[in-house]
Amino acid sequence: MSRRTIPLAIGAAMAASAASAQDAPLQVAMHYTQEQAAPLIACIEAWDGGAAEYQQISYGDYLQTVLTGRLAGQSPDIYNVYGAVWGAQMVENGVLAPVPDDLEAFVRDGYAGGTVEAATIGGTLYGVPTEVSVYMLVSNMALLRETGFDAPPATWDELREMAEAVQTTNEQGRTDTAGFAFFQSGSGAGMVHPWYALTASEGGAPYGADGEVQLSSEAGQAALERMAGLVRDGIVDPTVDAYDAFPAGGAAMMIMANWYESAIEDGLGSLDDVVVSAIPMGEDWRTLQYAFFMGVDSGSDRQDDAWALVRHLNEPRDGEPSCVAQMLDGLGALTASAADTAALPTPDAFTQPYVDALAEDRVVSQPNVMQASEIERTMARTFEEVLAGEAEVGAALEDLNGEVEDILFEFQ
Amino acid sequence: MSGRDPEPGAEVPGPAPWLFLAPLLVFAAVFLILPLGFSVYLAFTRWNPLGTPSWVGMRQFEFLLTRDDDFLRSLANTFVFAVGFVVLVVPISLGLAFVFSRARGKAVWRSIYYLPQLTNIVAIAYLWQFVLDDRYGLINRMLGAVGLRGPDWLTDPVMAMVSVILVMVWYDAGKNMLVFSAALEGVDREIYEAAELDGASAWRTLRSITLPIIRPAAIFVTITSFITGMGFFALILAMTGGGPRGATDVTALYAYRMAFEDLRMGRASAAALILFALIAVLSLVQFRLLRERA
Repeated sequence: MSRRTIPLAIGAAMAASAASAQDAPLQVAMHYTQEQAAPLIACIEAWDGGAAEYQQISYGDYLQTVLTGRLAGQSPDIYNVYGAVWGAQMVENGVLAPVPDDLEAFVRDGYAGGTVEAATIGGTLYGVPTEVSVYMLVSNMALLRETGFDAPPATWDELREMAEAVQTTNEQGRTDTAGFAFFQSGSGAGMVHPWYALTASEGGAPYGADGEVQLSSEAGQAALERMAGLVRDGIVDPTVDAYDAFPAGGAAMMIMANWYESAIEDGLGSLDDVVVSAIPMGEDWRTLQYAFFMGVDSGSDRQDDAWALVRHLNEPRDGEPSCVAQMLDGLGALTASAADTAALPTPDAFTQPYVDALAEDRVVSQPNVMQASEIERTMARTFEEVLAGEAEVGAALEDLNGEVEDILFEFQ
Repeated sequence: MSGRDPEPGAEVPGPAPWLFLAPLLVFAAVFLILPLGFSVYLAFTRWNPLGTPSWVGMRQFEFLLTRDDDFLRSLANTFVFAVGFVVLVVPISLGLAFVFSRARGKAVWRSIYYLPQLTNIVAIAYLWQFVLDDRYGLINRMLGAVGLRGPDWLTDPVMAMVSVILVMVWYDAGKNMLVFSAALEGVDREIYEAAELDGASAWRTLRSITLPIIRPAAIFVTITSFITGMGFFALILAMTGGGPRGATDVTALYAYRMAFEDLRMGRASAAALILFALIAVLSLVQFRLLRERA
């Protein structure tokens, strides 16, 4: 091969590669299984804007898989991003493309404000909100009624009273039935998300408007004190994991998100005795929501097509819910789209209070900060130490504030 | 003519040896040398895989060793886990090998004790989670049946470390038992017969004949077990996730999380290098001490 033919061959190969990228089907990467995403996959395959295919990436490996794919130059075109945990990092590193103007109007006009916020990073909208999760108090009324309570608690004092009344222990002093239980998760969400809800109900926020870390605010301390008080006063056994205990009928109350509905139903056999109610913080209760949003890779060769597909999947169809909403409804998950909410059948009794919380604007969004998973793990460790009596609320939150400031400092 | 030149008439090997070695060399270069070199480079950078690495010199090491309490605690946990594992697994493996060397159907017994090695470590972790669960676990249920309150195996910080060590011993004892078994099989029977003729007791035979002869195997098992203990984290990740409250958070797990959950590849590489250096130094010291005693 002559010296002239080598550059020509490379050029031809690059042109072929670019052409091949243009011809390749759009990749839609989400964490739902093929079975869960079946309605969405049907819409993707039926799309008349070009070839597209669904790619499942497990939730736990999502970000790593995306990163590895980008390193290898094989990024998906469309992502389903957990805004508060992955969003800020993906934006900081230029992975996500901003939403085009026409789609931005569609989102801002048609979705709940708090959820639009969850897809907004640094003032820019990066996608169309998809699945929304909200935290509420979930009660096993069969257990509450056994101890003489006919309704879930409306205040924290009532929760303490009911939890104490329900709690039973066996001969070895182990909890048999828990009145209230925290749920344990490797990410720390089981501790941190209820704390966000309580802090919001106390009128506080974990971060100021300018991004200032204020975890040790009065509201934050009051929220953690409420959680720690349950353990300190023997009302809650921190070793009981609501994740297992509630569906097994071994816990009467927990603060949990709507996506756990099917597990509770599977465990208890039915939802007849399960009641979802407000965070028991009186009239001014607030709660936490977190949301996924569908965004497009900034390096996609077919960004316009990708955004068109995103719109196709999220736009209601002649009075019918959108493809995404149809899938979410099948999963018992929530959408924040007003049009989809109107087009979907009336939610069941379990889901309705979650929908109402969104509609009544009771929700605050999980903060979109850098290193969110690292920060939440650090927060959960601190909370666990306080609950175990190894640290005082005030001092622990002051230290935590410093640790989180350190984590965020390098991104300022 | 230099001394390295072939003798007149000798056959020159040509490229054939290199050709046969090439797959191995390429494999080593791609999967060992390149990643290792890249990891060393990353330890001096700040990098998340979404961006480009930026050189920060020794700052990752400085942060880990002077400001990161979690990392220092993970080092202490690693040391406790590795030492606890070695202290238990070496005598237990030796004991099993010794017992089975004289047992009927020893091949069957050895196979049974080796079975955990053939099982997926995550499956093992979940199995033992069920057995050790504080409230519903098999052990505490059995203790409860006779009126005893069992320990908080996985929720008490001290007991959680004890639990992961015990499960690790259960998992690894079979492998080490095979090494000891091979060493025991290699001891010349005539030496035992001579000792018996001289009236040596069983204990004296063990102490003065068996143990000195199998000492190389013991050194091998001790050092490899220590290295395994220092770098192992899959069992802990699946069984306790490093909890409760960081009580079982070992350095390898810390580095894994730092890299793949927090996307701090530079700091994770620095942590891994520190762990590598510690393992190398401690293994060398251990090897020399054990060899001197031999």
